[in-house]
Amino acid sequence: MIDVVVIGLGPAGLSAALKLAESGRTVKLVAKGEGGFQLSQGTVDILGYSPERVTSPLAAISGLPGGHPYVGIGADKVRDAVLWLRDTVGDELLVGDLAENYVLPTAVGAMRPTALAQPSMVAAHQASSYAVVGVRQLKDFPAELLAGNLGCQVAWVDLPARKEVDSSAHMFARAMDDPGYARRFASAVAAVAPKGAVLLLPAILGVKPGTWRRISDQLGRPIAEVPMQPPSVPGIRLHDALLAKFKAAGGRVIIGSRVVGCKTAGGRVASVTVAVAGGPRDLRASDFVFAPGGFASGAITVDSRGKISEPLFGLPLTQTDANAVVGPDYWAPHPLFEVGVETDDAGRAKYDNLYLAGDIIAGAERWREKSGEGIAVATAVRAAESIMGGRA
Amino acid sequence: MKSLEADVVVIGGGSTGVGVVRDAAMRGYRAVLLERADLGQGTTARFHGLLHSGGRYVVSDPQSATECAEENAIVKRIQADAVEATGGFFVVTPGDDPGFADKFLAGAAATGVPAREIPVAEALRREPLLNPGILRAIEVEDGSVDGWQLVWGAARSAQAYGAEVLTYHKVVGIEREGDRVSAVLARDVKKGEDVRIDCGFVLNCAGPWAGQVAAFAGLHDVNVVAGRGIMVAMNHRLVNTVINRCVYPTDGDILVPVHTVSIIGTTDVKEDDPDVLAIPRAEVQQMLDAGEKLVPTFRNARALHAWAGARPLIKDDRVAATDTRHMSRGMAVLDHASRDGLKGMLTIGGGKLTTYRLMAEHIVDAMCDQLGDTERKCRTADEPVPGSESRKLYQVTHRLAEVEEERLTDPVICECELLRRSVLVKTMKEQPNATLDDIRRQTRLGMGPCQGGFCSTRAAGIAVAEKVVDAERATGLLRLFLKNRWIGLWPILAGDQVRQTALDHWIIQGIYDVEHLPQPEQEVVL
Ligand SMILES: Cc1cc2nc3c(=O)[nH]c(=O)nc-3n(C[C@H](O)[C@H](O)[C@H](O)COP(=O)(O)OP(=O)(O)OC[C@H]3O[C@@H](n4cnc5c(N)ncnc54)[C@H](O)[C@@H]3O)c2cc1C
Ligand SMILES: Cc1cc2nc3c(=O)[nH]c(=O)nc-3n(C[C@H](O)[C@H](O)[C@H](O)COP(=O)(O)OP(=O)(O)OC[C@H]3O[C@@H](n4cnc5c(N)ncnc54)[C@H](O)[C@@H]3O)c2cc1C
Repeated sequence: MIDVVVIGLGPAGLSAALKLAESGRTVKLVAKGEGGFQLSQGTVDILGYSPERVTSPLAAISGLPGGHPYVGIGADKVRDAVLWLRDTVGDELLVGDLAENYVLPTAVGAMRPTALAQPSMVAAHQASSYAVVGVRQLKDFPAELLAGNLGCQVAWVDLPARKEVDSSAHMFARAMDDPGYARRFASAVAAVAPKGAVLLLPAILGVKPGTWRRISDQLGRPIAEVPMQPPSVPGIRLHDALLAKFKAAGGRVIIGSRVVGCKTAGGRVASVTVAVAGGPRDLRASDFVFAPGGFASGAITVDSRGKISEPLFGLPLTQTDANAVVGPDYWAPHPLFEVGVETDDAGRAKYDNLYLAGDIIAGAERWREKSGEGIAVATAVRAAESIMGGRA
Repeated sequence: MKSLEADVVVIGGGSTGVGVVRDAAMRGYRAVLLERADLGQGTTARFHGLLHSGGRYVVSDPQSATECAEENAIVKRIQADAVEATGGFFVVTPGDDPGFADKFLAGAAATGVPAREIPVAEALRREPLLNPGILRAIEVEDGSVDGWQLVWGAARSAQAYGAEVLTYHKVVGIEREGDRVSAVLARDVKKGEDVRIDCGFVLNCAGPWAGQVAAFAGLHDVNVVAGRGIMVAMNHRLVNTVINRCVYPTDGDILVPVHTVSIIGTTDVKEDDPDVLAIPRAEVQQMLDAGEKLVPTFRNARALHAWAGARPLIKDDRVAATDTRHMSRGMAVLDHASRDGLKGMLTIGGGKLTTYRLMAEHIVDAMCDQLGDTERKCRTADEPVPGSESRKLYQVTHRLAEVEEERLTDPVICECELLRRSVLVKTMKEQPNATLDDIRRQTRLGMGPCQGGFCSTRAAGIAVAEKVVDAERATGLLRLFLKNRWIGLWPILAGDQVRQTALDHWIIQGIYDVEHLPQPEQEVVL
């Protein structure tokens, strides 16, 4: 018998699943893809802009307008949830005390606020000066642009990850977990690295959490990893850590399978139908956590005429006509991407035992305000606690 | 002020202007072309991509039909690298009058447009997504043409014959001495410098802006009507053959496979200002409906991008000014000597990209007549332009073959369009003042499904790494690129393109925080 089925493998689904599994629930996690961590910067945002840059993310939550996902949760619960995540993955992966946002350079050279970051990144916070080293074969790290925007020196190393010249960050990171390769990399960097208080390197320093430290030690100077576009190596680290913990806590996972339908009765979800090899299978459970992502993952769809919908459970959305919420100004807010589902205070929508978490929830353009992981984790913990509380 | 001298100044760097400057240069004139933006950024960047066979006009406009048929063959000969010989079908869809096909075949025979009726089953076998309910199908020699390849090829040919091609030079005045044109005044908008070109002749090829240009010479009654049409590019080659509805020309009746996409179009709405062309979401819906007539699963495909262009039609008093579709699409050369008493200036309007070379021939002939240079004959119809010497027609698989070959050495910067780094860098270095949008038009950077989400920051980084621009300008260019892509994105946002756009926003804003990059005091616009 399954207690809870969790749909979605991003920060929200993984957090909810882990929290529930740690509390002794029998949890099955179902997901069709790899989840949002792979597409993220690999840090934990709570609130970076509102709309001006936010220094203290928890304090800024109280200033958010009604309808924002944080408003029904409150700063204390957001803090507890995010600290739970930090302590769960440990300080090899996430550091920060939430008093103030870190401000870290992005790969193009913007200074980006975030609440928790990986220890391999935080040397870049408030550094007195920088230097940048890029890798010729890594096309996703625009080293000169970064250095130019930071006003610092730049150098390159030549170090292929494989025979074909096109290599993703992930391929480099896997190579880097080999101590021999990491040594060669560090030597090459040491030979060219310009002066600067903190040396910025592309976020390819190992899929494993400790690899970066070996490189840092060999270089003997402060370094900071700079996140890049997907596939995100720091994101994969967080994903892998949470998934491993979930499995260690007894959680079971079905990956690569789409949830295609549901059976409901009496205002409750009875089961969800999963398309697995060999045909559809119904998964019954007492409670369901729905953390499927938002527009980017295809959990909220827009048809060719502009009708917005949530196709799986048919959940009510804050807006159903995309034509009314798109506009010509690229830099202005895009209200389309605030569309989602509103929940009750327990995080539920439409059904008594359907709890929502993450991007599916309405009220925030997360990439704009830099709030994705914070909302995901806070709503996931709310969902888990509601379920645990309800059955305690 | 910088001073230049020329026999002839050509105003406008669309297909017509480059054709004209090439023709004039090949006839031995010292020619200068002035374009206010980049080559092919006016109507020539906002057309349908169809190299007409002439079929569309066999009933409505026989002369245009014949011209298209002849020029179709010539363009394939001289600009092979810009043309894909897709072939075309005219299909009678359910509800259309099957009798029109008979008129069509008769018209084709009379105008010399190659056309042959084929069994419906054959059409469906060759184009499996085509509406299975079609009643008749006629095969023609339509192709698709890359307008930017075409203009750059012609411009390079003109340069090889000594012409000067000055982009980002906006004409701001035309001087006259007595009853003759004597000079053109322009502003180099990149350098902020004024330029004066003393000349004996001005050829006004400013398309929908031709009326504005004529006014610089004091000619205020050149009436160019802008007939706005929108086009929508769908994410796949739904068809590999151009599909036309076999009806009297109407809205949304052509689907053209161009490079990796297929383009449905178009509409026709009179506008006042050719610089402000809307892409109404309602018209996008109209195009998707029209697409369904040709390909029933049309709405399952994903709209990628849309754009709007203005047909530069010189007003013809015989038809109402609001009915732009039925004005002469044929070309019109206005001789301002006989019309307005101003010697040394001609204006051209109307026409099609397909017939750009013939338009050039006409207007340069008219100039030669006025100058008494009747021995200088047009030579543009046979000689291939630089880049097309092999006379090999473009194939959509070209890039894949090159990427395979270079996979050990040359990374792919834009995966959607298989754009290799070396090609990008070569284009950037040849045109160090270019914007990323200029580069896009020539290389298709950011034209595929991701619309720049993955490749725009790479391209900006490479521009700095290759020392083409500094980081400040690269940042400005990146911002401009994203802003310009949005022009054609938000009107079609629906279906899977919403999903893609969300992912792009996660990358550009979420990961990179591009909106908070150090901002220049003034946004880069050029
Ligand atoms: C919706 C639509 C679909 C079409 N589809 C097709 C098709 O499928 N096949 C086909 O063969 N034809 C098609 N056409 C027609 C074709 O696009 C045009 O005939 C052709 O592009 C016109 O080129 P042009 O050079 O005359 O004008 P333009 O390309 O508009 O060139 C004029 C240039 O003048 C410049 N200019 C303006 N003012 C100044 C100034 N003051 N100083 C300097 N420069 C100036 C502009 O920037 C512009 O680049 C289509 C047209 C439209 C509108
Ligand atoms: C044959 C063909 C195939 C295409 N295929 C694709 C494709 O596969 N994928 C894709 O993404 N796109 C495709 N496009 C569209 C293309 O990307 C551009 O959106 C379109 O060509 C508009 O040109 P642009 O880049 O100059 O203009 P935009 O990107 O729209 O704007 C660039 C600049 O032009 C200015 N501008 C705006 N309106 C006008 C106007 N009316 N006249 C002059 N300047 C103006 C803007 O202010 C801006 O500064 C295709 C276009 C054509 C013609």
